[in-house]
Amino acid sequence: MADPFDIFVLVKQVPDQGSKAGLNPDGTIDRAKAKRMLNPFDRYALQAALHTKKTYGGRVTAISMGPPPAVEVLMEALEHGVDRGVLLSDRRLAASDTLATAYALCKTVQWVGRFDIIFCGLQTTDGDTAQVGPQLAERLGLPQITYCQDFKIDDHRVHAERIIEGGYQKLDSELPVLVTVANSYHPLEYKSFRGAWRVQQLLRNEVEQKKYIQTVDLDVIGADPDRCGLKGSPTIVAATEKVGEIGGNCTMHEGHTASVLVEELLGCSNLKEFVKA
Amino acid sequence: MTEEVKRIATPKGEVLVVAEQILGELQPVTLELLGAGRYLADKLGSQLTCVVMGYNLADMPQRLVASGADVVYVADHPELYTYRTLTYRRVLVDLLESLAVPPHICLLGSTTTGRDLAPRIAAHFETGLTADCTELDVGPYEHKSKVDPSKVGLYEECLYAIRPSFGESLKARILGPWKNPQMATTRPGQMTPLKPDPGRQGKIVPIPVNLKPEDYRLVVAETLREAGKGLKLQEADVIVSGGYGLGSADGFQLMYELAACFSNSAVGASRKVVDLGWVPYEHQVGQTGKTVRPKVYIACGISGAIQHRVGMSKSGLIIAINKDPEAPIFKFAHQGIVGDLYQIVPEMIRQLGKVKSEKEVGTVVSTH
Ligand SMILES: Cc1cc2nc3c(=O)[nH]c(=O)nc-3n(C[C@H](O)[C@H](O)[C@H](O)COP(=O)(O)OP(=O)(O)OC[C@H]3O[C@@H](n4cnc5c(N)ncnc54)[C@H](O)[C@@H]3O)c2cc1C
Ligand SMILES: Nc1ncnc2c1ncn2[C@@H]1O[C@H](COP(=O)(O)O)[C@@H](O)[C@H]1O
Repeated sequence: MADPFDIFVLVKQVPDQGSKAGLNPDGTIDRAKAKRMLNPFDRYALQAALHTKKTYGGRVTAISMGPPPAVEVLMEALEHGVDRGVLLSDRRLAASDTLATAYALCKTVQWVGRFDIIFCGLQTTDGDTAQVGPQLAERLGLPQITYCQDFKIDDHRVHAERIIEGGYQKLDSELPVLVTVANSYHPLEYKSFRGAWRVQQLLRNEVEQKKYIQTVDLDVIGADPDRCGLKGSPTIVAATEKVGEIGGNCTMHEGHTASVLVEELLGCSNLKEFVKA
Repeated sequence: MTEEVKRIATPKGEVLVVAEQILGELQPVTLELLGAGRYLADKLGSQLTCVVMGYNLADMPQRLVASGADVVYVADHPELYTYRTLTYRRVLVDLLESLAVPPHICLLGSTTTGRDLAPRIAAHFETGLTADCTELDVGPYEHKSKVDPSKVGLYEECLYAIRPSFGESLKARILGPWKNPQMATTRPGQMTPLKPDPGRQGKIVPIPVNLKPEDYRLVVAETLREAGKGLKLQEADVIVSGGYGLGSADGFQLMYELAACFSNSAVGASRKVVDLGWVPYEHQVGQTGKTVRPKVYIACGISGAIQHRVGMSKSGLIIAINKDPEAPIFKFAHQGIVGDLYQIVPEMIRQLGKVKSEKEVGTVVSTH
């Protein structure tokens, strides 16, 4: 058998959509106030990474950048069967845009070491850009497969299916490669019993925890602080505005039987014109 | 005493639109970008340029001129027949490096292609990129933050990249005036194309294609567009969309039945039901799904969250069926029915069925 694969998966902790996550006056997100969760898109990336390990053998490293609580998403990844986690956490990273984030993640990836394949989520629910994956690939000089909804690996090539408008592409790439996983890929399987058990052990024992989750800062990975955070970000949020209530002139139909309501609707709209003859 | 504000002006480059074609078919988003780009270029007093990559492009460059471009850079080469990240990236990087002055602004569509390519270009040139904009403009900006003193000053002509922002009903204006090109991708269906003018004059400039061995690490075996079978949400005249109010995946059967009453129709969905796995992702309408602009949009059991609204609010006629009279969707629908969709929709199907048979009778009569 070939060498086992070194599989990296990038996961991010995001504010829970359901919670009242406030925006700071400068337009950045007030993460302290928000409830936290694993970026839902990254669940597909995690599944792709674990599937790769299960099918082809290897080791999965989950990598995240964020404030200290982000360790929670690495724990969650461990519960699902990831082998180890690396958290990049540093105050100087605050207010990083996608370019600065991709720089910091690039330095982290290079610090962690050799890899065959990197999985990213398609996008995040807070940044919501889908840019970090391709920007990281550019910095690492890698080919990339975005919007990947299925793949297999043989003979050190990835054969993948990528969604495009109104169809899909079949493509293949040499390893190493960066893949962003679409949410039409398989959903994340349940936590593994072993993983969950291990995390229970880790939570009780800090020394043990350090073996599975490493926390690093910019100095450890040798990143240039000037290329991170606000300083390293070419974009800023200059202003946010509330989207005004639009419309408000909806013709309402209510308080009658269904058949009367539908008659009313057909009476005061041109819906009939679209009926198939 | 107030200090004099330092005015900062960058050399005025062009506004560059990266055109998109799939299997030789020019994508509508490109024409929308040319519409937006024309406005920006006129306001800046600079040129609107467009680069198109592909093979056997025939009259496509001419069409780009007709739709607003002053200059079209053309890379027509067999290796560029289908989009591939690395080959297209190479041509675009080479083009940008060959320009004496970098473009002031560079725009792509927020499509699977644009979102694949734009971040690579932005990372290569270490410049700012704003994803998925719904509005674009140019205007002044005074940067006061002293975090980086070299950035303080008044920037006269920066790109305002405007996009819906996290969760709440907010729009964010994102700027990056420090370095050109200032880049953005725009969501399909948001910008207005110009009316094509075949008489418009423009320059067509062939550009070199110099691929390197590493650009071949990624190959595309096949590009399949599922004619007929594929979901044509963005081309449908009528979209019947289902949300969490359907109660279960089975509810979508009813959505298909209602859609079947109309010609050129499709079934859409809210994110919540896609996340629940009731229907596949390609049905999703909204911020993280598709932007649609059908003639009729029928929302069944959808609350009308901002993220859903931004994907469909430009539809011609919006009909909402929801049992909660306070649902936000009634704030922007044109016609609203308050009621249980499981009573309303079957009744609609019944009454529309009658319309259908009337139409059929009509057809028969007219042939006599
Ligand atoms: C970053 C981000 C991106 C997002 N992107 C998208 C996106 O692209 N698209 C999208 O849609 N959402 C998106 N969302 C999610 C969005 O905020 C909402 O959560 C989602 O649209 C809600 O879906 P829904 O309307 O189906 O469900 P709900 O909000 O639960 O609404 C269900 C509605 O059905 C009604 N109802 C229930 N039963 C019946 C019945 N029997 N008959 C009639 N009515 C009934 C209820 O009154 C209710 O109004 C995004 C969120 C975030 C944070
Ligand atoms: N801070 C981060 N830490 C780890 N991964 C990240 C981070 N930000 C973005 N990513 C990865 O990049 C993907 C796209 O993010 P975005 O460009 O923010 O939409 C995510 O799904 C993650 O896989």
